[in-house]
Amino acid sequence: MAKILEVANLHKEFTLFILGAKKIRALENISFDMEEGEIVGLTGKSGAGKSTLMKCVYRTYLPTSGSMRMRRADGTFLDLSDAPEHEVLALRRTEMRYCSQFLHAIPRVPAMEVVSEGLLARGIAREEAFRQARDCFERLGLPEELWDAYPSTFSGGEQQRVNISRAILSQPRFLLVDEPTASLDLKTKGAVIDMLLKLKASGTSILLITHDEHTLNRLSDRCLHLENGAVRNAVEV
Amino acid sequence: MSQPQDQNWLLRVRGLTKIHGDPGHNTIELTGPEHATNICPESGAIVAIANIDFDLYPGEVLGIVGESGSGKSTLVQLLYFDQPATHGRALFREVDEGRSNILTLSNQRKRFIKNHLMGMVYQNPRDGLNFNFTAGGNIAEKLLMAGTFHIGKIRGRANYLLTQTEVPVQRIDETPSSFSGGMQQRVQISKAIANNPPLVFFDEVTSGLDVSVQAKVLDLIRRLQQESGISMIVVSHDLGVIRMLTDRTIVLKHGRIVEHGLTDQILQDPQHAYTQLLVSSLL
Repeated sequence: MAKILEVANLHKEFTLFILGAKKIRALENISFDMEEGEIVGLTGKSGAGKSTLMKCVYRTYLPTSGSMRMRRADGTFLDLSDAPEHEVLALRRTEMRYCSQFLHAIPRVPAMEVVSEGLLARGIAREEAFRQARDCFERLGLPEELWDAYPSTFSGGEQQRVNISRAILSQPRFLLVDEPTASLDLKTKGAVIDMLLKLKASGTSILLITHDEHTLNRLSDRCLHLENGAVRNAVEV
Repeated sequence: MSQPQDQNWLLRVRGLTKIHGDPGHNTIELTGPEHATNICPESGAIVAIANIDFDLYPGEVLGIVGESGSGKSTLVQLLYFDQPATHGRALFREVDEGRSNILTLSNQRKRFIKNHLMGMVYQNPRDGLNFNFTAGGNIAEKLLMAGTFHIGKIRGRANYLLTQTEVPVQRIDETPSSFSGGMQQRVQISKAIANNPPLVFFDEVTSGLDVSVQAKVLDLIRRLQQESGISMIVVSHDLGVIRMLTDRTIVLKHGRIVEHGLTDQILQDPQHAYTQLLVSSLL
């Protein structure tokens, strides 16, 4: 199997100028690889650096040093730690998707449109995109009267379902997903897990953060345990 | 294979500089964020912006943030030929396949570029609209400049644009002075996009509007961008506007770029002390 991501000696330090250039070390010497089509679970206590690592890979955070080579669909490599902004944007549009813990949606856009945005961007016709969105909402049990409402007014669990629907429907090659099943009931949790497994079966690689044992056991092929910003041990599941 | 990505720009700006007054030999070195001033201590010249480099890609929305006086508006005004640049190059793919510095072209060619290939929406509607003309007349002016003389076509296009920007078409024959601030901005946007330009500049277009009107104008800009893929440069001191509209952001201070990056990175992991201050000041 080909590797999709090779992270080597990644360090991340925040310098807070407002607090007299105080330095906070968040990640220390992180190295790991991910195979194509693999699900890697990131585990560790709150504050261990899981989300920081994920945001570095997505380049929302700028790594302090180290490299993160991603193999793109066309077989070429891109080092996400210092790739030109345009290359990262192009990658986000076509191959790499980040589904954060909380929904960040443009205000005043109906749930249906938020979710089908990724499909429309790939040139799928509006009706077909909406059909897939409806199908996804149905499976995740999002009440129909919310489909054309603005997600900013939704409850935590409803927002979560919009967020995960958007990520799954865009069918990325590489998905970064932070707590996809938190604040969901058992049945919906199961539906999300099934959808992520289906995505994996279609070839998607997933980097997963979850505190939920059940979600972790059903999804991850392998775990990376973080403690104080460093990898403690890599565990086969 | 497609051409390498870094050659795919629509607009390439290098070394763009605007100095008011007579600069001395050290004017550039003695000004900027590290000196906390844009006034040269030796010559008294004012460096509005200096050594600005960036590329804008097709379909991209680039944000420019900074406090008042940081040079944000100067930057877009130089590119729209409202003021002459002191130095620098701006290559525009739509003009001579990107080989000519558009800043040094003849006035006639600059006028052509402004009328056919660019649009500008100013903070103050009085800068972008003629208040002696009607709303329809203002749009007609831009169409006439680009060589559309058929009165029916002009009327049709003006109707279409006003509908698109949700200005009541019944008011097409009124002057903008009788319109609300939000409506004036929407007429200005109609005028700016009248000839389907590939590049539009927005200079603090929502400042001074109340929040509900601001939201409608921002939604309109976003919708136009999604539907037509226009490249945009959005100048704003409001990080909320930048977050909502832009893909990449440039941070200006005392006329220099202190930081640039993906917009989410600038907002969540700002590297420069000044950007950190800006982000932490966000309500």
